[in-house]
Amino acid sequence: MINVLFFGPIAAATGEREASVAHVPGLTLGGLKEMLAVQYPEAMHLATMMAVNGEHVRDLALPLADNSEVAFMAKFSGG
Amino acid sequence: MKEAVRIQQEDFSQDEEIRALQASSKRMGGIATFLGCARDFSEGREVSEISFDAYGSMALSELNKLRSDAIEKYGLLDARIVHRIGTVKGGDNIVFIAAGAEHRVAALEACRWMIDELKQRVPIWKKEITPQGEAWVTPHP
Repeated sequence: MINVLFFGPIAAATGEREASVAHVPGLTLGGLKEMLAVQYPEAMHLATMMAVNGEHVRDLALPLADNSEVAFMAKFSGG
Repeated sequence: MKEAVRIQQEDFSQDEEIRALQASSKRMGGIATFLGCARDFSEGREVSEISFDAYGSMALSELNKLRSDAIEKYGLLDARIVHRIGTVKGGDNIVFIAAGAEHRVAALEACRWMIDELKQRVPIWKKEITPQGEAWVTPHP
C-alpha cells in the first residue's frame, strides 16, 4: 500500500486527509499522481510540490516502494 | 531549555528565545531576529483569524535542516526558529527566527535567508478567515 497524505488547500479540495493506494510493481510518483487526478482533478492541479517519506522530490519518474508515504502539496504559505 | 527548532500551537517569548541564543556562546557579537505576525487585513479584506495546517514531521525536519544549513552557510554560532500552527488572530505572533554570529553582517544575512527559505521549503499552509468566508493564502514573494 502507498499512504497518500493531503494537507491545507489540497485536503480542502479532496475532502480527505489521506488515502491508501494499492502498490503495483513499477509504480512511479508520476503514475500515482495521474491515478489520483482521476478522482481528485482539482487537488492534483494544485499539487506543485511532492514529498516521498518526508523528503522533497521533483522527479515524477521516481519508482515508489511499497509502504511509501507520499504527500502531494500545494505551494507553501507558512511564515 | 527548549529545543532550538519548534512547531507549536502556543505563543512564544522573543526574550526567552534571544536569551537562549545568547547563552549558547559568549563569542556572539550580533543577533538578528525576524518576527512574522498575523495581519488583520489582506488583499483588501478584513481578516478575523488565520489558521495553519502543516505536514508536521516533514515541517520540523525541514526547519532543522534549514537551521543547520544557515549555521554552515553563514558561519553562525547558533540559530533558533519557532513557528506556530493552529489558529491565530490579527497581531498575534506566527514565526520567530534568530541568528547569532560573531559579527552583524552574517547574522542579518542569515536571518533574511532563513525566512525566505522557510517559505520555499517548509510544508506549512495558511488560511485566512474573513467575514466573507475563508481562503487558502497564495504565497507572497
